[in-house]
Amino acid sequence: MIRLENVTKSYSEEVIALRDASFEVAKGEFVFLVGPSGSGKSTLLRLLNRQERPELGAVWVAGRNIVDMPANRVPMLRRNIGNVFQDYKLLLNKTVFENVAFTLEVIGRPKHVITQQVPAVLELVGLAGKEDRFPDQLSGGEQQRVSVARAFVNRPLILIADEPTGNLDPATGEGIMRLLDRINATGTTVVMATHDQRIVDSMRKRVIQLDRGTIVRDQARGVYQ
Amino acid sequence: MISRIGYVLRETAASFQRNLTLTVAAVITAAVSLLIFGLTLIIQHGFDNLLAQWEGGVEMIVHVNAGAGDAQRAVIEEALVQQEGITIDTWRYCDVTCSLADADRLLAGDPTTRELLTAENITTQYKVVPMDATQVDILRGLRDRYLGLPNVNTVQLAEEQLDLISELQGFVSTYTTGLWIALMAAASLLIWNTIRTAMFARRREIEVMKLVGATDWFIRLPFMLEGLLHGLIGGVLASGALWFINDRWTAGVQGFPDNSGMTALVVVDGYQWQVALIILVFGSIVGTVGSGTAASRFLDV
Repeated sequence: MIRLENVTKSYSEEVIALRDASFEVAKGEFVFLVGPSGSGKSTLLRLLNRQERPELGAVWVAGRNIVDMPANRVPMLRRNIGNVFQDYKLLLNKTVFENVAFTLEVIGRPKHVITQQVPAVLELVGLAGKEDRFPDQLSGGEQQRVSVARAFVNRPLILIADEPTGNLDPATGEGIMRLLDRINATGTTVVMATHDQRIVDSMRKRVIQLDRGTIVRDQARGVYQ
Repeated sequence: MISRIGYVLRETAASFQRNLTLTVAAVITAAVSLLIFGLTLIIQHGFDNLLAQWEGGVEMIVHVNAGAGDAQRAVIEEALVQQEGITIDTWRYCDVTCSLADADRLLAGDPTTRELLTAENITTQYKVVPMDATQVDILRGLRDRYLGLPNVNTVQLAEEQLDLISELQGFVSTYTTGLWIALMAAASLLIWNTIRTAMFARRREIEVMKLVGATDWFIRLPFMLEGLLHGLIGGVLASGALWFINDRWTAGVQGFPDNSGMTALVVVDGYQWQVALIILVFGSIVGTVGSGTAASRFLDV
């Protein structure tokens, strides 16, 4: 599903975010990216949805090298990738329903699809009955659930999550992880960057560890350290 | 498709409300600049009416008494033919229909006088293009000679009014053109800035839209539509103001003395509606270009 081949990405001569990174993620896999701040986790995630392009190497997503993909094809790529962020990135002037529906609306899904899929995904993330609330009327965990619902409503092939539990207390974070695990169980590949040792250790999924842009460990059913 | 159109219209309306003060400023600036653009066209047309009888390099007009028949005019034409290739390059006869059409334009601001002119009493004209228009003395000599011919009512030389009007036309058009270009640039920049502000206010939304796979065109469209509406509304206001000003001016000219020389400096032939259409199209283009440029430039918020 995802393959990186000798990828190097730098922001300047001094700041090299990724050095000669190579790995492969199979369809339906769940992968943790771990490492200290500045190790290149977020850059790697940004490479997967073409927010960034590497100087060297190839990034294969769903069978296509996206490095030289024409700009007009990028939206189609992104429709197959859901994004979850640490700060949720919810639209504060829209309700829970509207935030989730927004994803389908801007890619031109018809209204009957929206009215069918949004309640279903809100049910899945445990927000049924809160469709009309605004983000500032929800707890942090609920806001992140909206973010996950928004990322998953289009049934993407890949879901990338950048520190999704970073702003949440441990119990709420665990709830989000259970949710991501359920989504992964539907066949969606999940790649998640995290600092949360407890979560990584408890989930026992594949772990790719980065240190100053270099992959220093790639372990199946791994732990944080 | 319908949901996309609905989305674009909804977002455009929301953006209008969100940036109300900037929107009003952009619309007013667009309206003022389009009004001056329209006035420039109208004034030009007014001057063209003033100079209508002198179009095509005509420097001398021989007015023939009303009712003069072919036999009487033959004397005048013989005198003109004698000078062909010597002092006269070409000449043409402007019959009753042609002379009445000239009167329509020249007396557009003086309908009372125009109503007095009929096919029976209007003078017909010979319009003369000289070999060299700068040889004023030769033209004056011709005028004196033709004044002595039978059935010649008057002989008019362009030098008496053409130079002054042309100079005035050049002066007015230069300054009004400069003014509308400057104001149009200001309007376009203001629309550009309004759209930039709107995009900045919605940067999180745009970021999310891009991440979930919205195309750049889909994101740009509401902003471009907003700019187009700025220009279009400005155009509607400018067209209304232009109609009002033209109407008041035309009414005012009717009160001018007959010998003021201003009676033709009006536009009453429907040209103002063409100008209104030009203003609407031009305003829409300026608004779309301004907003389209900003929407492309600031898409990576």
